[in-house]
Amino acid sequence: MNLEKVIFSFFMILALTLNFGFFYGDVHNPDHHNIYELYAVIVINLIATILKFGDRSQLGAMLLATSLVANVQLISAAVVWAVASHMQAAGVTEATMATIVSLSGGAVLANIISVILLVLESSYLRH
Amino acid sequence: MNPVTSIILRQMRAPLIVIVTVFSIAILGMVLIPGVDDQGQVWRMDFFHALYFVSFTATTIGFGEIPYPLTDAQRLWALITIFFSVFGWFYAISKIVSLIQTPLFKKAVIHSNFKHSLSQINKKFYLICGYGETGQDLVNRLVKKAINCVVIDNNQHAIEELEVQDYIFYVPGLEADATTPSQLEYAGLSHPLCKGVIAITNSDSCNLKIAITAKLLHPETPVICRSEHTDFEENMRSFNTDHTVNPYDTFAHNFAMAMKSSSLHLLNEWLTGVPDTSLDRPITFSEGHWILCGYGRLGQRIYKTLRENHHSVTIIDTVAELRDEFYRNNPGDDTQFIIGTGTDVATLKQAGVVDAVGLIAGSNNDSNNLSAIMTAQMYNADLVVVARQNEMMNKQLFQASLADIIMHPSEIVARRIRTLLTNPLLIDFLEECYKQSNEWINITISRLSGAISEVKPHCWTSRLTKTGSPAVFEALSKGRKIALKHLLKSPIQRQEMIYCLPLMLVRNNQKFLLPNNDFAVHADDQILFCGISQAEHHISQCLHDMHTLNYVMSLKNSPDSLLGRYLRGNTKQKRRNND
Repeated sequence: MNLEKVIFSFFMILALTLNFGFFYGDVHNPDHHNIYELYAVIVINLIATILKFGDRSQLGAMLLATSLVANVQLISAAVVWAVASHMQAAGVTEATMATIVSLSGGAVLANIISVILLVLESSYLRH
Repeated sequence: MNPVTSIILRQMRAPLIVIVTVFSIAILGMVLIPGVDDQGQVWRMDFFHALYFVSFTATTIGFGEIPYPLTDAQRLWALITIFFSVFGWFYAISKIVSLIQTPLFKKAVIHSNFKHSLSQINKKFYLICGYGETGQDLVNRLVKKAINCVVIDNNQHAIEELEVQDYIFYVPGLEADATTPSQLEYAGLSHPLCKGVIAITNSDSCNLKIAITAKLLHPETPVICRSEHTDFEENMRSFNTDHTVNPYDTFAHNFAMAMKSSSLHLLNEWLTGVPDTSLDRPITFSEGHWILCGYGRLGQRIYKTLRENHHSVTIIDTVAELRDEFYRNNPGDDTQFIIGTGTDVATLKQAGVVDAVGLIAGSNNDSNNLSAIMTAQMYNADLVVVARQNEMMNKQLFQASLADIIMHPSEIVARRIRTLLTNPLLIDFLEECYKQSNEWINITISRLSGAISEVKPHCWTSRLTKTGSPAVFEALSKGRKIALKHLLKSPIQRQEMIYCLPLMLVRNNQKFLLPNNDFAVHADDQILFCGISQAEHHISQCLHDMHTLNYVMSLKNSPDSLLGRYLRGNTKQKRRNND
């Protein structure tokens, strides 16, 4: 067992699970989507991205790309949330919430691809 | 991905994770710890404000307690944030600094820069292996002729020397072992624009290895090798190395030229030397006795030349085995062979310095050579002195010693290769001159001195091909007759002639030496010119520009523009109608 691989896989899968946890629920309902969960997703995703830095293989490049996509999606969701709650008189409306959740839904997709690639790589190594 | 970026990213993983972790914990703490707003109500920072606060605190910008003054609990957390985040920044910065200083990283940067500059080259270039005295001299001359070079040398100092040289364009240099095939490939051997490989390291075995590598991997690439030992030279020739340059053979040949005719020696020195430097003095060799100090690779060759020209010789060398070998190889030779350095009065007197006509200081030790010259000149001021200079740094000493001919192996190799690369016709010309009579050579040198000024001339080859000289080619293909005298007229004032002399004209492997001014040129001729520095530029104007060519041939210019041609066509038409 390789500790580095464990940490690497841990962060990637945690990013996916947290992301899914935030995404799951009624799209419009702010009660179904916890801001702390979004925060945790962003932090874990950033760490997962950094872990993928400097890998020169084709698979490494793919993994890095999916992580960057997830980051872009999640950070834009956070920016939308910050703008809505601080700079809009109406605050976080149902429509805004739908935007935030759908953005994080895109990130879920990117993270799923990431994990699929990871599983593919490990099964490839088995052979 | 660029290896440099890849190294940085891989090394920055840990510091970046530390920073992200510290930030995320600090932000979370700020969000969770309750504060008080200006009305005394309980107020919690949200993520937006917490990120803002932590960002300016952690980066030590410190705007203050925004938006409301902090409570003591928040201040405690801010304190912890400051210490941990500053530690995180320092860790990241120190990691980058130490990374930049590691030799591995420096090497990656240098290789990456080299690769980049190699990919930027869009002209044909020569791959020069070895940047010692010969390499420096050669690169300097080639760059002045606007020829691109790439240098590979396994000595770090040599590459550093290349970096600080002030060439008019950038010469990429790689610190690597040229005898390793992969390194040679990396340095540009397999580059489509690589025009040739020049192996001029100071070791014959290295040069041999480079030549083998180049010829095996790219048989069509020309290879020029320096070799100082005959067996290596034969080895290199055996697998089609295009040229091998042996400084001792080359010098012995030059010396034989000088023995045949001092004018021929002058011709060689003037034409192959560095342009715009002062002209050499003529040397006269009178019949008589010669002293040869040093019977090594140079001495043996010179001895042969001297004997062929019927001079008596005394050899001085320190090695007794060489004497035994000499007498074994030359049975019945009455040549005196003295064991000694040739630097002391007794040995030189024994060798007959007082009545001698010439001295050759040809050992591989510069101090001994200089000492021999100075001692000998005290007893015989009229001596013709040939000195072998081994080290570049002793150049001034040899010039001050008033030696008539200075033989510097590096310089000879550089000069020979330079001529081979930039002006191969010149070598053919000098070989042709060697076959001519002394009177012919004397006439040539007097014509040459008339055509040039007080400094050594420039030599160049003009090719009357479609690309080399479009104007002349076009005129010739239209059936116009052009003679050499037309090309030699000044494009500024056609009554004046350019200070320039056509040395040789080559047409279908047929060589015409010193063609006269009425000689008619044909398409695809090659002409070897020599003249003052502006002459090349003036002649090339004539070769390239139809208007200039028309001017020097006293012809009217035809209009080039559409309107001009139309108007002219109309007037011709009218004239014809009137007739």
